[in-house]
Amino acid sequence: MNRVKLLFFAALRERMGTRTLDLDLPAGLTVHGLKARFLDEYPEMSESMKSVLIAVNREYASDETLIPLNAEIGLFPPVSGG
Amino acid sequence: MQSSGLPTVFAVIEDEIDLNALLARITLVSTGAAAIFTGMVRGETKRGEERQTEYLEYEAYIPMAEEKMRQVADEIRAQWSAVEGIAIVQRIGMLYPKTPTVLIACTAAHRDTGVFEAARYGIDRLKEIVPIWKKEVSPDGGFWIEGEYAPKAGE
Repeated sequence: MNRVKLLFFAALRERMGTRTLDLDLPAGLTVHGLKARFLDEYPEMSESMKSVLIAVNREYASDETLIPLNAEIGLFPPVSGG
Repeated sequence: MQSSGLPTVFAVIEDEIDLNALLARITLVSTGAAAIFTGMVRGETKRGEERQTEYLEYEAYIPMAEEKMRQVADEIRAQWSAVEGIAIVQRIGMLYPKTPTVLIACTAAHRDTGVFEAARYGIDRLKEIVPIWKKEVSPDGGFWIEGEYAPKAGE
């Protein structure tokens, strides 16, 4: 198993009601697989996940990105700083 | 500091943005020009649908935001080799109208070196890839503002 830490920001954090969540994933999962598993457990997040950006170890990822062991995974809406 | 020895300042902060202190840090003895962009909280918006803003609440993924600010600075240096110092600073927390929220400053020997364009690129790029968000709060309630840009993997 691969224990990863999810970090939520902005609207996703408010919707989840928490900043962080530890999750056990099977080894070799991609970001696409993570999204599917996450939505199985938290179907109420499906609307927020439509525009989600995902960062793996603080770098933007695509659906094909493999999730490394003990990764830190940021989930957040398109950014709006400035 | 970059390996080039040129000063690069990037930070997510909660305290007031201190323009003079930042400018001092990115001014070399060879510097003769600085282009500074700063954005502030707008209390009344007239462009598009008119609205009032009571305050903005900013949040950041701080370690990633600071890494992405460094990346923006590297991209500026790759395009404008005359740029000497770069400062990229975002203030977070609850910020009220007229308060500066962000500052991008680039210095160079002279003003005709691309230094204005470099600062413009810095703020545009920050709004694309640096993980910071703002919630706009008005007397009617609050909503998170979402950007439009979707960074590619590794961007």
